[in-house]
Amino acid sequence: MAPDRVGGWLSLLRQGLQLDVDFGTHSLEAMAWIAEVVESSIYRRGSLYRTADGIRFVLDNPPLRLGAFYRLGLQVNGTPVAPERWTIRAGSAAARTAASVGAASPVELRAGEPVEVAASIGPLVGTVRVRLELDSVAIPPRVWMEFDDEVRAEGE
Amino acid sequence: MSAPPFDPLLRSLGAAVLLDGTGDVTYARECRGAVTEWGGVYGQLVRLTGPWTIDVTVDGAPRALADGRIASERVGERWRSVHRFGRLTVSQEIAPLAEAPAVVRRLRLAAADGDPMNVVLTSEFVPFLLPVLVEGVRPVEFRLATAETHLRVRERGFGLDLHWNLPPSYLFLNRGSWRGGHWEGPVTTVGSEHVVRLAAGAPTEVCWVLGGGLERDLDRNLSAAAAALAAGGESGDGADAADAAWRASTPTVRFPDAPDLEAAYAAARDGLRRLYVAPGDGLAGLVAGFPWYSAIWCRDLAWMLPAVLWLGDFEWAERSIASVFRFQAPAALPLLGGTAGELPMQIAPGPVFLYGTSDTTLYFPELVLRSLRHSGDRAAAAAHRPEVRRIVDWARARRGPAGWVTNGGEAEAIATATRGVARVRLGIDAPDTTIWDSADRRDHAIDVQVLWIQALRSAAELEGDPTAAADLTAEAGHLAAALPSAFAWPDGPYLADSIRHGQTVLRARPNALRAVSAGLFERNRAREIVARALRDDLATPWGMRTLSAEDPAYRPHAYHEGQVWTIATGWAADAAYAAGVPAAGLSLLRTIATRFREENGGANECYRGDRPEPYNSCFLLGMSLAPFLTVLFERLWGLRVDATEPRLELEPAFPAGWTRASIDGLRLGGGRVAIRWDAPTLEVGWSGPGALTVVFPTEVRRAPAGGTARSEWRAPDPGES
Repeated sequence: MAPDRVGGWLSLLRQGLQLDVDFGTHSLEAMAWIAEVVESSIYRRGSLYRTADGIRFVLDNPPLRLGAFYRLGLQVNGTPVAPERWTIRAGSAAARTAASVGAASPVELRAGEPVEVAASIGPLVGTVRVRLELDSVAIPPRVWMEFDDEVRAEGE
Repeated sequence: MSAPPFDPLLRSLGAAVLLDGTGDVTYARECRGAVTEWGGVYGQLVRLTGPWTIDVTVDGAPRALADGRIASERVGERWRSVHRFGRLTVSQEIAPLAEAPAVVRRLRLAAADGDPMNVVLTSEFVPFLLPVLVEGVRPVEFRLATAETHLRVRERGFGLDLHWNLPPSYLFLNRGSWRGGHWEGPVTTVGSEHVVRLAAGAPTEVCWVLGGGLERDLDRNLSAAAAALAAGGESGDGADAADAAWRASTPTVRFPDAPDLEAAYAAARDGLRRLYVAPGDGLAGLVAGFPWYSAIWCRDLAWMLPAVLWLGDFEWAERSIASVFRFQAPAALPLLGGTAGELPMQIAPGPVFLYGTSDTTLYFPELVLRSLRHSGDRAAAAAHRPEVRRIVDWARARRGPAGWVTNGGEAEAIATATRGVARVRLGIDAPDTTIWDSADRRDHAIDVQVLWIQALRSAAELEGDPTAAADLTAEAGHLAAALPSAFAWPDGPYLADSIRHGQTVLRARPNALRAVSAGLFERNRAREIVARALRDDLATPWGMRTLSAEDPAYRPHAYHEGQVWTIATGWAADAAYAAGVPAAGLSLLRTIATRFREENGGANECYRGDRPEPYNSCFLLGMSLAPFLTVLFERLWGLRVDATEPRLELEPAFPAGWTRASIDGLRLGGGRVAIRWDAPTLEVGWSGPGALTVVFPTEVRRAPAGGTARSEWRAPDPGES
């Protein structure tokens, strides 16, 4: 476990104990449920696979916000991926490049609808950091998600 | 003329259902720019299910229940429909239970003459089991277990039970057959098949009760479910009876010269009642709105409680305030964005969600004072004194060099605090969290400063220590005196939206009108500000924009950067009256009243800035309803109360041409007030206890207990106002 993660968990434990004392165990438990469900219900852990020319992964839900998005951004290991080099497929819709997404043709994301992302960025091995950014047509602040996972070979 | 929109909400204090009137529990609505399915059952502030549909199979041919609908009606908080499939008639009723977080769905099957027939009913729902705040996330994996009388679905600490009166012949998971027992894994749909052998003249009833929220409370609801299954067609009556009793306890307001406002008063009052919620654990409050803000948001609650007090529900207001104070942060909670003394963004019997708003905490000192003035309950106000002091300390710790409270950086602080904890990190790059929380209004938004001044003033009145009270009054006075020049718009009649890095942020928003309402300007200057706000870059025929259409950042569909919000229209009405421009105030109230009428009991959150079309909008929002009611009492009627004396001030702002108006049953402390104006006679009746001091527009009188006080007042002549 990385040092910052240890520190974070210790901080969480201390604050959790504080909440337990002040608000009762229900609040503490429920916050843990929420944190777990959000962590486990957006990025499908283990879905990061190597493809012939890059990677792909799956989200089981949109990250924090649903609705229509007019701009998407993807970074892998801190490097932005050109929008014409990656695709997104939401629900039963066809896959489309991020470059095709705009205010007149936004991507629509809904609760419980899987989203598949594929990027042509060359071969990758080991653990990578992926960051996905989305701009809603209705609410300005950018929504983002970031995860670290090991790239698996197909069939692994 | 288009038909009024369908009212999709059925609710009680414990549960809600959203449906579209087609016959099933489905409800698609545009949200954040895309059509999204919000149909389902909600309990204990948790979305229990997504759509819940029923198929009817007669002689082997399955059809959606909705396909056979021939009639439907809404009766209170119940929805009834009749469906016909050849010889089969299905009468459906859907209603939330009054006291349990559950909904009953009852089908009465009747066959016309002929041979007995086999009818198969297939119920299918999408489990959700997550508080609505976690927007756009439906858990993937669930735990299921069957019992003799019901099916239980759980997901971490949340859960639901589906009870039936007719045991299913088959169960389905993800549209595949399931033999029941226990299951744990991904679930998209849960189904059950119920077979009925139906003979002519022998109707059969098939009934489900679906409820839940928190897993720990599921067993507690079993008896309520059993009672509902056994109750026949009477379930749902409890919610209607409770609503009727509540309505009867609220004031009756009559405007014979303005039936539109009278109707709007009733609609807003009834709408507010529909947001009442008691989700468990002793919590009480009002949910912010439907569909996607069906949770107790403390900022929204703060906007609603003044109206709740005018409606006479002192007890609910006090319970709501106490519910929020229960979660006042005792110390810094960085992972939740909370600092000592802060009040949370949301409360629930389950999770306490994030703190980290700049304004929520500041509303509550004034709410405590308002509650005292309406109820006269000095003990309750004194009991809240420590919490109010902590609020003042919290805000003082956020002051900048000039004494203004700082807003901004809250979401960033949470992201920083949680960075080392989560495996999957999520965030919204919101630099700021004022009431327009998607707009960047750093560092000292004007309405936050007005709230701070009002909080100081209220805290001073509630403070028991004279020295501390004097300090609070002095600080409020200093800021109130400084605000007009600090936020002055150079060479213009308006006010800056914020101060950042010592410079005014010159963006025209309706938020500046809060300074007028707070009485921070002399009359002529206040009128200039209101007149500027009512220019057509900010004002539209359907309400006030959140940002001037002349601002480079204006977008007509952007939530807080151009859309029209009814709460902002309420602010403008309030400010117009405060500035002595009652004609403008009345016009703005009528703008809101028109929205209520056209929305058939709804009160949209917001509309596009370029046309009167709801966009990214909850269909019923407390912040759209309540300010209308508060302005109606406080500005149009000109009422101010203090039950501790008791005292009533009355200064109507009725327009020329009006001759009559009345309020009956206005609660004040331990008594009730009746006000009748039949020009020129203005009469106040008082039920007691003790004598009531009545401050009329031109004189002060006393009404003895059980007696009246009279004066005279006429609406101004045309042109006078």
